[in-house]
Amino acid sequence: MRNTAFLAAGLLTLALAACGSSEPAPVVEQIVIRAPGEPAAAPDAPAEAAGVIDKVAFGEEAFAQCSGCHNADPGGPHQAGPNLHGVFGQPAGSKEGYPYSDALASSDITWDFASLDRFLSNPAAYVEGTSMVAGAVRDAEERAAIAAYLASTSEGS
Amino acid sequence: MNDLTPEKKRSGLAKWSRRGFIGAGVLAGGGLLIGIGVRSGNPIGALAPKVASGEGEQLVNSWVKIDTDNVITAIVPHCEMGQGAHSVLAQMLADELDADWSQVRVQQAPTDGSYIVTDTARAFVAPFTMNAADWIEPTWDGLFTQIGLMADALITGGSSSIRTTGQYQMRVAGAAARKMLVGAAADEWGVPASEIETKDSTLIHAASGKSATYAEFATAAADQPMDQTPTLKTADQYTLIGKSKARKDIPGKVNGTAKFGIDAAPEGVEFSYSATVRPPVPGTSVASMDASRAKDMAGVLQILNMGDFVAVVADSYWQAQQALNRVDVTWTKSESPIKTTADQYAAYTSAMDEAGADGGEEAATKGNFGEAFAGAATTLEAEYKVPYLAHAPMEPINCTAMVADGKCDVWTSTQVPLRVRTELNAALGIDKENITVHHPYLGGSFGRRLEGVYTVMAARIAQATGYPIKAIWSREEDTQKALYRPAEISRFKAGLDESGTLVAYDNIFTQRNDPAEASVPGIYSIPNTRVRTAEAPLHLPFAAWRSVDHSQHGFFIESFIDEAAHAAGADPYEYRLAMLKDAPRQSAVLKKVAEISDWGAPLAEGRAKGIAIVESFGSIVAQVIEVDMSSGKPKLENVWAVCDAGYVVNPDGFKNQIEGGIVFGLTAAMYGELDLVDGGVKQSNFHDYKMLRMDETPGIMVEIINSGDVPIGGAGEPGLPPAAPALANAIFAATGKRLRELPIAKQFA
Repeated sequence: MRNTAFLAAGLLTLALAACGSSEPAPVVEQIVIRAPGEPAAAPDAPAEAAGVIDKVAFGEEAFAQCSGCHNADPGGPHQAGPNLHGVFGQPAGSKEGYPYSDALASSDITWDFASLDRFLSNPAAYVEGTSMVAGAVRDAEERAAIAAYLASTSEGS
Repeated sequence: MNDLTPEKKRSGLAKWSRRGFIGAGVLAGGGLLIGIGVRSGNPIGALAPKVASGEGEQLVNSWVKIDTDNVITAIVPHCEMGQGAHSVLAQMLADELDADWSQVRVQQAPTDGSYIVTDTARAFVAPFTMNAADWIEPTWDGLFTQIGLMADALITGGSSSIRTTGQYQMRVAGAAARKMLVGAAADEWGVPASEIETKDSTLIHAASGKSATYAEFATAAADQPMDQTPTLKTADQYTLIGKSKARKDIPGKVNGTAKFGIDAAPEGVEFSYSATVRPPVPGTSVASMDASRAKDMAGVLQILNMGDFVAVVADSYWQAQQALNRVDVTWTKSESPIKTTADQYAAYTSAMDEAGADGGEEAATKGNFGEAFAGAATTLEAEYKVPYLAHAPMEPINCTAMVADGKCDVWTSTQVPLRVRTELNAALGIDKENITVHHPYLGGSFGRRLEGVYTVMAARIAQATGYPIKAIWSREEDTQKALYRPAEISRFKAGLDESGTLVAYDNIFTQRNDPAEASVPGIYSIPNTRVRTAEAPLHLPFAAWRSVDHSQHGFFIESFIDEAAHAAGADPYEYRLAMLKDAPRQSAVLKKVAEISDWGAPLAEGRAKGIAIVESFGSIVAQVIEVDMSSGKPKLENVWAVCDAGYVVNPDGFKNQIEGGIVFGLTAAMYGELDLVDGGVKQSNFHDYKMLRMDETPGIMVEIINSGDVPIGGAGEPGLPPAAPALANAIFAATGKRLRELPIAKQFA
């Protein structure tokens, strides 16, 4: 009977797994950047070393932490949070088609470096009743960079 | 196989007598330790080399520990994945022991050597007088599968913890411990053991006014003779069993101190993280890897082509995953002719076409279908279809692994710690004695964590790189590269006589896994029944998914029975009831659900109710679902469920499980669907693999019937199978549209 055959095959696999090769499978290719116990190499960041940091690029990288709920792509969709392309310089709660909290929609905030810094450091403290209940950015430099990145998306738009 | 009643099949197992042993020892520092388990001589013994290869090794499943501070610890072999088994197992032990529940603790049994080698216990071997557990019924095939799995696993699955370990081990351990404590006190006090009463972890001799805590006699009790088959309490003697005692794992889960596999932070271990990507199509492997865009990224430590997957090890999970996203991998080509969902269904269809009207393997036969069908007054045929499903447990798949000095330690969420150990042994070439599987709480599982692949991947990375690592699968990997509830097509033919009675029933489908009786409409008295299977290839690997084959056949059978009722012009409830005239427990459950759901009462426009009954994992569950179709889309209003599991040990916990099964079943019924595209899974995350949300969840009322006097049934799975058919039948009642395919929501989009 078919089912018996199926089971026999299943158990055979089990048996093979149990008594099979005791040699570990070979690794096909292993790229070692740092082996255990090795100290981390000195940061290889020429731009930083030269004291020049591309703030917008850093901000775009830091924005990754926001990307669970937001994107800043031109014409990008609203997700759990609104699309943020071009919001810098605009009144809060003004993106079409996103159901903002009343608190944010009725606020008289315009997004600039100062307001974004306050909001991102603790959204609910700045706008009581906002539906942005997570995603505070603790690091001030990151907040500034994210604001710079958002500002870059407003340029020319 | 020509008898369809589950009860009959059970009795065929009587010769599988259960052998076990209990042994006792003294704890370091005083106190009593009792272990109970199974060993050579019981059916599992045939497969013992896989679990206990050394001389004198035994598989000890459960322990009870009585400390000198009068704290009693139940050491339980099953994992806690939200189902509440830990606490309820302790409840069963504590009842037989007459323990003070407030001083009872639960501890996860470890899988290390001392647990398997029972040198702390003086071993005894004696046949248990109790019957083999009924959960491994009812066919030889089912039995063999379950034993095969169990042999290599402290398995938690099959809705089995309470009805096997609880009934046959925890209670026995508790009763044996109590008897030894009483014996020790009787010797010391010079009074007959029969005059000593026990209550709240205290020994009392009323006549002499003597009393003592268990702790005072714990050490002396270890020298008492041990009763291998102690008398267990009867239902009227229970003090904890049958009561909704609060679960001991809940406070930690509420205050955040509970540790899950993904929280593993072993002391003194500085671990890195890994992210991995497996081939998109089963049976393929890595053809080439180009890591040039990834190797200079921040935090990256190593990048590996492991042949069957690619891994990045980094300082953090985020860095590992980001770098992995930039590794360009090409995969070998799949040989499978199945590339799309349509291909999979076509493979099923052609296998069934080939089997024809009478071919295929017979799974169960009663009477003569051909004759009865030819002589039927009315005939009907229908074809049903369900898709592949993923488990989608909330806690991501993870394993923390450390391989050093010829030893391997893993910390992981698993339902099968011993199987994990065996797979690690085979993959790493490290002896089992040097492998330790630590297994904290699971954040959901539903069958997902019955395999060890992810632990082996983690350990291989740790072994190759020398880094202890915490391996975490992305949600996308888990949705697309796991094991799956198979898609299935099921074809039915039925014949009704002049009165509308179902007299001929034929069913053919392709995937028969487990439990073997899931496809058999055994609860109904249908005189001529034939169930057949046609062999067809399954593209994605098979997984047990909550309620396993019942998840498909519950929907198929109970929808088709509804079609028969409609063809007969009968009320779906009355029609089923008439077919349950020889099944008193089942018909009592059905009557009760009709009663509490007010079946037959007039409803508002657009609303209707559907009914279904499925017996699975030893429990009979009937459900009525009320749906509101007035908007044109199904709105789930209410579910009434009645369950007979023989005797429910913790009613609140049992109801939780039934409710969970219903929500899980309704999620699958409404939304659950994985499509194949280019041989891989299309869906990737919760946005396209939707769960039923809180605002869509109906009111749920669960009632329990304790019919007693039967082997007790399971809780984790039996709530699921009736949900989909009850919903589909309700939608039919409201709209006249018969749903022969899941999921439902998109059919009303």
